[in-house]
Amino acid sequence: MSDDDHEEKKILVIQTHGVETPNRTYSPLFYAMASAAMEIETLVWFTMDGTNQLKKGVAETVKLDPTSDVTLKTMIEQAIESEVKLAVCHQSMALFDMEEEDLIDGVEIMGATSIIDLSLNADHVMYF
Amino acid sequence: MTENPEVRGCVLPLSLHYSVQDHTWVSLDDDGTVRIGMTDIAQNLAGPLLHAKPKKVGAARKRGKPVATVESSKWVGPVKSPLTGEIVEINEDLATDAQLINRSPYKAGWIVRMKPTDLDAELAELATGEAAVEMYRKRIEDEDLKACEHVEGFEA
Repeated sequence: MSDDDHEEKKILVIQTHGVETPNRTYSPLFYAMASAAMEIETLVWFTMDGTNQLKKGVAETVKLDPTSDVTLKTMIEQAIESEVKLAVCHQSMALFDMEEEDLIDGVEIMGATSIIDLSLNADHVMYF
Repeated sequence: MTENPEVRGCVLPLSLHYSVQDHTWVSLDDDGTVRIGMTDIAQNLAGPLLHAKPKKVGAARKRGKPVATVESSKWVGPVKSPLTGEIVEINEDLATDAQLINRSPYKAGWIVRMKPTDLDAELAELATGEAAVEMYRKRIEDEDLKACEHVEGFEA
């Protein structure tokens, strides 16, 4: 196998930062998109403060560059289009009074045992 | 019609074969190999490229699998192969100058050369000539894609 042949590899990205720190929201999604482009099965797990960016109507209000029309919502949509899977920690949703209907489309709700399974099954975990 | 018609400023040479869905092109070389690259529309959507990494020579690629990954400051993604085959050459110049793709998407900015394994059947599924231009015109209008901007020194 050549060193750039990453098929069948899995990367888990854990995002614990949310809308209160915009500078920490874009890069994990960008790396996840890069990973997916390299044919790596990629999942971003949103937990703790990372959960709040998945609330409907929130991500479109977060912008890193005020002169750009790219918002955090754009990044999330691009990640989904890139076949990055998104999952949210069920327990963390309670921190922000979020119910299933409050979530944007394309996000799977998973519990604490799932993140353990995902961590053990991933070839690498990136923690933000 | 000119050999290089434009749709919203985006150049689409009539001689190439296009995967309109994946924004890639194919040209046929005399030795039975093909060159693959990104369209003008693709380079425009991505913006000025920072890195372009083709897969390695010898890599077997099925149609739809990446032959390269490209990244700009605002986007990163695959260049999906429009054909099935083996990569026989990569554009080494991209390693130091990814913006060759922005400046010359159809010439100096080619990405890989491939020996296709099912050329006739797969080529028939790509669009070429004025039919390709019309397909792109429809896509650009349906998705309201932005007009192409060309950097200094752009060549079609």
